[in-house]
Amino acid sequence: MTDNTYLKRLFQAYYRELKPNIPVISYFEQREFGFIPWDKQIMIRHLSFKTPGSLLKELIENGPRHVYSSGSLYLKPDNSNMNKKEYQGCDLIIDIDVDHFYTSCKDDHDRWYCKECSESGKGMPSKCPKCKKTKFKILNWICDNCLKIAKGEIMKLVYNFLIPDFGVKESDIKIAFSGHRGYHLKVENEKIRQLSSEARREFVDYVTGENISFEVLGLREIGLNIYGLIKSNIGWSQKILTKIENIVNNYSNVQLEHLLLKFGLKRNIITSFLNSKDDFVETISKNRSLWIIPNFGITTWNTFLNGIIHEIGAKIDEPVTVDIHRLIRYPGSLHGATGFKVQEIELNELEIFNPLNENNENLNPIVFKSKNIQKIEIIETFVPPTEIAGEIYGPYKKEDKVEVPHHIAVFLLCKGVAKTL
Amino acid sequence: MSIQMELIYHYPWLPSLNIVFSSIASQDPIEFITETFKKYSPTEIQERILIIFRAAFENLEQIMDYKVDQLNIHCYLILKILLYTLNNPVITNRIANLYSKITYEELINESDAYIYDICMDLNLDIKYYQLPIEYGIRIIKDQREILETNFRINYIDYLKLSANMRDEYRRLVNNPLSEGYVFIQKRNIIRLLQEYVRQKLILKQEVDKTTLDAFKSEVLKVEEFKEMHEIISNEWALKEEEFEYSFELDFKSLKEISGSYPPCVKETLKKAQEGQNLIHTERLYIVWFLNSLNYPEDKIINIFSTLPDFNKEKTAYQVQYAKKKGYIPYSCQSLKSYSLCMAKKYKDELCLEGYFSRKYDTQREIKHPLSYVRIKQYRISNIQKNSKNQIKKND
Repeated sequence: MTDNTYLKRLFQAYYRELKPNIPVISYFEQREFGFIPWDKQIMIRHLSFKTPGSLLKELIENGPRHVYSSGSLYLKPDNSNMNKKEYQGCDLIIDIDVDHFYTSCKDDHDRWYCKECSESGKGMPSKCPKCKKTKFKILNWICDNCLKIAKGEIMKLVYNFLIPDFGVKESDIKIAFSGHRGYHLKVENEKIRQLSSEARREFVDYVTGENISFEVLGLREIGLNIYGLIKSNIGWSQKILTKIENIVNNYSNVQLEHLLLKFGLKRNIITSFLNSKDDFVETISKNRSLWIIPNFGITTWNTFLNGIIHEIGAKIDEPVTVDIHRLIRYPGSLHGATGFKVQEIELNELEIFNPLNENNENLNPIVFKSKNIQKIEIIETFVPPTEIAGEIYGPYKKEDKVEVPHHIAVFLLCKGVAKTL
Repeated sequence: MSIQMELIYHYPWLPSLNIVFSSIASQDPIEFITETFKKYSPTEIQERILIIFRAAFENLEQIMDYKVDQLNIHCYLILKILLYTLNNPVITNRIANLYSKITYEELINESDAYIYDICMDLNLDIKYYQLPIEYGIRIIKDQREILETNFRINYIDYLKLSANMRDEYRRLVNNPLSEGYVFIQKRNIIRLLQEYVRQKLILKQEVDKTTLDAFKSEVLKVEEFKEMHEIISNEWALKEEEFEYSFELDFKSLKEISGSYPPCVKETLKKAQEGQNLIHTERLYIVWFLNSLNYPEDKIINIFSTLPDFNKEKTAYQVQYAKKKGYIPYSCQSLKSYSLCMAKKYKDELCLEGYFSRKYDTQREIKHPLSYVRIKQYRISNIQKNSKNQIKKND
């Protein structure tokens, strides 16, 4: 039996056990479904199911590697021609996945291998430092820190944007742990479903702060003076200036210096800022528009404000939100790259939810958790340590033969870094 | 909700028209036209409609003596039928532009209560406050102005109405948004309504020519309608000549390279060709882009001749001025920030994936539309060279 067949049978067993308690998404029969099987890397799309029972039957029969459903509603979800599906609207989908942004721990646990020149290294480079090509094989790893950062981004999105600015009701928000390195958030509301792709682009710009015009918000150079934003102006002006106040009031000079270097400011400019920061915060709090910091011209202000925006904006996977025909992981299904469940979480459970060490069994995404020991062999050059439920397994190297609990074995097999013995 | 009759006379594009005048709404269009010409003076109908077409052909932004009686409803519907039968996107865009501007001028004088009623009739989620609410301060030098308004509009409706207006200040991210509602000045709501009216008049071009021809042959049997149709067609034909209306981008003296244009240019030119209105940044971009490629001035001016507000002298001045100043087109980054980048829409491989630079021995992004043209031209010349070599080999 191949490892894929073994995993497929495990997945089938999971779905059999799940019966009949598979989560049911709204407008179930109007959703398009898609599966990725174990034997080939293709998405089988344009499927539909009349009832959750018929979906579960399919999952039990085929135990697919990945299971997806559409954010969109269609009258004919199984029509293979997108134009003939009779689109009815699409939930607002937001994907926050640490694959798409930098976290410092990636320098420890993520690995890349250049497909062109075979160079390898740690972290998340944009191109191979040796051959400058961009074709990589990436081995990204799950880590508690990354997942905390992803959760922080979801919280930021909900409490800084969706609820206060967009007036989204908590009851319309559905959140799920993706089963790997992030979270999905869906807003289900009749009116929001009617947003066009272009309107969703505007939504993305709003929550990320992309395409903000500082000039429209009030930043301008008149003569030798710079006039800036006003804190009492509702919207992004207020967000930016509140953030600046928070940073200046709570960061030490060393932390501030580090942050401003990250923004791309030069040392002499940073020194100017540090010398004038208290006056500047007073300017902000008193709604004064004349901004005076020595050495700060309009370009420097733009760089500085762009850096602040980056701190405020939610780090979402933008194309997912803009694309109205995207499929997303079905809640309750298993993620084929980890063997973890796509776990739905209520908003009030989010703060304490800990996917890699969850105490509440109803929310625990690690469904194959077991103390049974399984013997496997490592087939990847290097496998970073994996910390699940407070236990650390690894690091491992190629040809290591290790005995690990069942859920760790499933995880390493799903990751494709080990084989059964 | 019930809406005052005079509002429907004044603004016949309101959805309530179909309810209040359900007999008209359910009527066969040809029957409707025949009855209208029987019920009202054909001369007056013709006068009212032709004044709009003539003003549009002359690129006027207003018409004199806009009447707001019951006949206005009939004239509006006949105007829509005329646009359908004329089936000319340039005319449609001009009429839509003018008619929506007339609407703006009418609406701007309406009371807050009427604007609110109109928004309600359009099923817009809008909040009206008797006393204005503050949403900020504008300070210019020593002048402080409290920003306040009586209106807030749900962001979903705001986005729907502003979808085709890409000015920076209209972007959601640059607007005050709280609890799902955008704080909006009355004049800006009216500007959104203007856009609604414009879009309502821009009919989709009839794909099924047979249906259109069948309808035309029937409706043109109504003598008064036929006469009006002919007058408009003839007057437009003269206008076309006057504007030397053409959309040929090739020029004989230099190499024709329009096949190498980036998608942002193709999209803007397509819009111009269809007679759609171009926003300021689109106009500047096209002029600067084509100037950079040394396109002849008259050819550039001709591109703009299809626009609803074309003015030959003004355009010529702008093109010459830009040339004199040597402005270069926006970079890709600026185009993205102006929402003019069409790389994703056109799924353009070169824009999306960049190119491999032998000089730097690395994959590089396209950062400027002129670089796009240069690389496309380079690739084309390589293909041509290779095929010549192939032919030689075969020989």
